[in-house]
Amino acid sequence: MTKRLLALALCVLALACTSLAYSAPKTEIAYASTKDIRNINPHLYAGEMAAQGMVFEPLVMNTKEGIKPWLAESWDISADGKEYVFHLRKNVKFTDGEPFTAEAVKLNIEAVLANAKRHAWLDMVNEIERCEAVDEFTFKLVLKNPYYPTLVELGLLRPFRFISPKCFVNGQTKDGVSGYAGTGPWILAEHKDGQYALFKANPGYWGEKPLTCAVRWKVMPDHQAILLALQKGEIDLIFGADGDMVNLDSFDALRRQGKYATAISQPIASRAILLNAHQHFTKEKAVRLALQHAVDKEGIVQGVLNGSEEVADTLMAPTVAYCNLGLEARAFDLAKAAALLDEAGWKLGADGWRAKDGQRATVRLYFNSQNAQERTISEFMQGDLKKLGVEMKIIGEEKQAYLDRQKTGDFELQYSLSWGTPYDPQSYLSSWRIPAHGDYQAQVGMERKEWLDKTITAIMTEPDEAKRAQMYREVLTYVHEEGVYIPLSYSRTKAVHAAGLKGVEFGLSQYEIPFEKMHF
Amino acid sequence: MNIGGYILRRLLGLFPLLLAISFFAFVLIQLSPSDPAEVCIRVNAMTPTPELIEEMREEMGLNKPFLERYFDWIGHAVQGDFGKRYVDGKPVAGEMAKALPPTLALAGTTACLMLAVSIGCALVGVLFEGRWPDLVLRGFVFLLTSVPAFWAGLLFIWLFAVHFDLLPTGGLEGPSSLILPAATLSLPYIAAYSRLLRASMVQAREQNFTLYMKACGRSGGAVLRHVFRNSLQSSLTALGMSLPKLVAGTFVVECIFAWPGLGRLCVTAIFNRDYPVIQAYVLLMAVLFVVCNLLMDVFSALVDPRLRERGLN
Repeated sequence: MTKRLLALALCVLALACTSLAYSAPKTEIAYASTKDIRNINPHLYAGEMAAQGMVFEPLVMNTKEGIKPWLAESWDISADGKEYVFHLRKNVKFTDGEPFTAEAVKLNIEAVLANAKRHAWLDMVNEIERCEAVDEFTFKLVLKNPYYPTLVELGLLRPFRFISPKCFVNGQTKDGVSGYAGTGPWILAEHKDGQYALFKANPGYWGEKPLTCAVRWKVMPDHQAILLALQKGEIDLIFGADGDMVNLDSFDALRRQGKYATAISQPIASRAILLNAHQHFTKEKAVRLALQHAVDKEGIVQGVLNGSEEVADTLMAPTVAYCNLGLEARAFDLAKAAALLDEAGWKLGADGWRAKDGQRATVRLYFNSQNAQERTISEFMQGDLKKLGVEMKIIGEEKQAYLDRQKTGDFELQYSLSWGTPYDPQSYLSSWRIPAHGDYQAQVGMERKEWLDKTITAIMTEPDEAKRAQMYREVLTYVHEEGVYIPLSYSRTKAVHAAGLKGVEFGLSQYEIPFEKMHF
Repeated sequence: MNIGGYILRRLLGLFPLLLAISFFAFVLIQLSPSDPAEVCIRVNAMTPTPELIEEMREEMGLNKPFLERYFDWIGHAVQGDFGKRYVDGKPVAGEMAKALPPTLALAGTTACLMLAVSIGCALVGVLFEGRWPDLVLRGFVFLLTSVPAFWAGLLFIWLFAVHFDLLPTGGLEGPSSLILPAATLSLPYIAAYSRLLRASMVQAREQNFTLYMKACGRSGGAVLRHVFRNSLQSSLTALGMSLPKLVAGTFVVECIFAWPGLGRLCVTAIFNRDYPVIQAYVLLMAVLFVVCNLLMDVFSALVDPRLRERGLN
């Protein structure tokens, strides 16, 4: 009896050990974000773009290799560049069972157009004359002009993505939708406002299926708590751009620890300082050019950004379309900067500050106070400018106040971050024409601002590739010569993840997270 | 006047006060330099073009005269309709109703924890006055007063969630999620209340009525109970202010522990300039402070006959 009991106990122990040794591979990725996904209606802008991209798909996709067929298998463009005929993929269904047809595409595009004022940033919306469903799987888009970024803008994360017409409210999407049925690889299965969202793999997905079963998007407002949750194993992934999810010091520390895997994308957007050509001191071109030489970008990249970004010589990286122009790089050279200021009449006084006509050389640099990285960069620049005899006041403002200031143009210096690929250069340049943007306010003091805006407008509908390239060259060269931007660095997206999580890659844009390629 | 009449009189006095608060909340928001229409466009990541701003102003009724807007708002507010959030167009009342239970759960747990530990500390302090347990506790309490919530919170997460793996780091994942945020929140209150209660009890112990009780040969426990009851007045008054503060001001802790409560809702609204949420929050908090204050006055009157007689007459 005793022997039997002993044998039984050993069996139980062996079983327990086996179950302890064998732990099933994880099938759910826990991703932490400081922000909730909010309303992911693909035709509006209230939701997190990465979440919108998981559920809703476009006709064509912007990829690193260029524009690729997606929900449209192929397309034809008329000779005058005004008509696009898309041949849709068959057997695609929305997750509510509705078939994806040309009629669904038409209803979606019309829903976007019905809310055109909300899409003012996107020229494409104003360029659409009409659209029609030619047959069940052929869709035609007719433009007013041969708008060249049509395919790129159809492939953006929003607003030209497709939601089941069954989710429309009163035939529209502008006042909300009744559900989030898309055609994408993920289905939003559960959403607790401000807590988490659970995305499950779409079992009927037409394309390459996600490599894991689910993604849990956890809302954790505190960055330090996110790092502790990663340490505990409660989350598997931190992913973001411009220090919004993980700051550079933490990223560097985690990389050095070697306990977690870290990844960094190719340069994706441009980080720069705007110099307002409409304000005292910076309105002089010579001053703006002097300031270009007064900022130690290498020092910022190495000292503040821990060498994780690339020094920017020009506003747009040469890898961006139409931007490999061979513009002159302005190196850090305080002697040259001083000479330029001397020449412009800004002489160094006994008090250590430069002045002209009794006015001291002073600039105000405004930044979003919630961004610690911008503060550190500002302080770094403050030191450089002090050596030059230019007083720099650093003012951190709460985000909405900072945006209000952009619109009024009441600043000498302000932070600027381009939108990154695939928005650069066309959408970013396009935004320069809108007075609510800091770029417009900084440029308004330039002699040829009117010409600049008109040329940007003309670029968008210039059908001839060579002429368009020439126009881009003229615009970017003029802005470079005027010195209204001090390019600092080309920013990158960063990811920190559990060592067991594989397939962590970066999308083309800084706003998307390719969860479908990740697995344990 | 009986106690019912007293409560009724106090309640009637609340209405003009709350009306004044609502008016000031509305006026202050109107004085803000940001245009609500523009803010509403921007928080939805759209470009505020002049045409869109004008359309939005019309839609939001911002072109109406100030007083008309105020009466519109207060008229709807008394019916429980505080308008819609700028960020996603959801009804403010619904969002606040969703955020309220987690906040109340956190505040309630914190209050229980804080009362239990404070009373315990105060009793030890009184029983061992001037001896080492009292000195150690006083030192510990002094330390607690100086610890900022964000630091204590992160320390707790590191120790109990990461190092010992006993509790979750945050979120709303069952009763165990309540422990760390409640402990973090209660620290400064424990420090304040245990000191306050201890000081009052030490003082009450030296009063003639205590000497009289002792002289009558009452047991140590009975004397202590009497001393305790006589020392509650100052703590209850302070508690009247602390309870609404717990509901209103838990933002830091709610953020660290990813707790979906009212504090986070409001501070996010402040950063987004989501005026309907801010106005509703101010009004709700005003009601809470005033009602809690009233409740504590009534409670104090109930436990202290001297106060009752003074207050009612």
